[in-house]
Amino acid sequence: MPPPLPPEILDLIVDFLHDEPGALKACCLASKSWVHRTRTHLFAQVEFSSESHLKLWEKTFPDPSNSPARYTRDLTIYTSQALTSGGWIRAFSGLVWLQVDIRSYGSNEEISFSLDGIDEVIPSLDGSGEQISFVPLRGLSPTIKSLYLSYGSYIPFSEIFDLVYSFPLLEDLSLVCLGSSEDDRWDIPLTSPRFTGCLDLDIDHGVCPAVRRLLELPSGLHFSKISMTYGDKDVELMMDLMLKCSDTLEYLGIYYLTGAFICLLASVVG
Amino acid sequence: MCRLDLSKLKRLKEVFLRAGPNVLWVIGVLQTAESTNLRQITIRFPFELGAWAEERFHQDWQDLDRALLQFWTSHSIRPRIEYWRVEEGCELRELASRLLPELTGRGIVDLFKYD
Repeated sequence: MPPPLPPEILDLIVDFLHDEPGALKACCLASKSWVHRTRTHLFAQVEFSSESHLKLWEKTFPDPSNSPARYTRDLTIYTSQALTSGGWIRAFSGLVWLQVDIRSYGSNEEISFSLDGIDEVIPSLDGSGEQISFVPLRGLSPTIKSLYLSYGSYIPFSEIFDLVYSFPLLEDLSLVCLGSSEDDRWDIPLTSPRFTGCLDLDIDHGVCPAVRRLLELPSGLHFSKISMTYGDKDVELMMDLMLKCSDTLEYLGIYYLTGAFICLLASVVG
Repeated sequence: MCRLDLSKLKRLKEVFLRAGPNVLWVIGVLQTAESTNLRQITIRFPFELGAWAEERFHQDWQDLDRALLQFWTSHSIRPRIEYWRVEEGCELRELASRLLPELTGRGIVDLFKYD
């Protein structure tokens, strides 16, 4: 029997197959010694688009400690059930990129518009009528560098930013949400991520509460890209934010919401 | 009115502006951009472009045309204009030549339809 190939050569062979899922699945079944390397590619990106995807995952990998979740680097969640269905999500401990996109306007929300902006948004539940919370994701993976949150329910910014600060290596932050006209409790953290990548803020109630929190961070801000939707009331803080990043900022994407345009939106929505 | 001032952003390389029907604020923002590193200006119009833009905001578009021409002269920046769609019965090239006469006349603007 010929001597086995050195493991680093086997790894190299498997790495060459990183974009061939069919071949990777065959490798995974070929030998136990190949399982680890093939799983790093097979489960590098995981997406839960619906509740049925979640159930399938839980059924296939009932024991979180043995699940291939630890191989996942990019996790995308499109269903709020992922945040409420137990502790299995904690198994995704090696993430670099996390996207949670559960924005949906349900019948529980009432929105009214005015010339000055959006008057009142009273959502508390997502489209499925379930109260959602990002608490189960807090500190999920210390290696997360990019966090994208898009949600349609009212969630206090204190909860959102507690989540944000639980990822010490965070570089990119994207928040697409309704937000709130009220500022809630705010404790400045002792340490904060360095934020050297992209910032994307699209908050219906205005970006002020989010920007205010970012400006007070102890590690400063070093974004190279900023994209923002803003109205007149946001200009001052937005200027402060841009100036804070003036040594690093190379890309600026802005969308100015005028009162007239908000009226136009209101007529479309209505 | 928007009072955004980009004059202190000296490292700025690219500006992307998503415009409403009224382009005055775009001109106001662009006029404050002083970065010598600036290489790209993109203006996106997320609505239907048509004769109405010319009828209602003719002077504003002429001012935008001049402001963008200035960037071509001073920074050699070819502006990129992105539009959602053009009103039925309107011919893009013809409309563009009326809204942005200097830029289209000199062939220094790129027009793109986005999805």
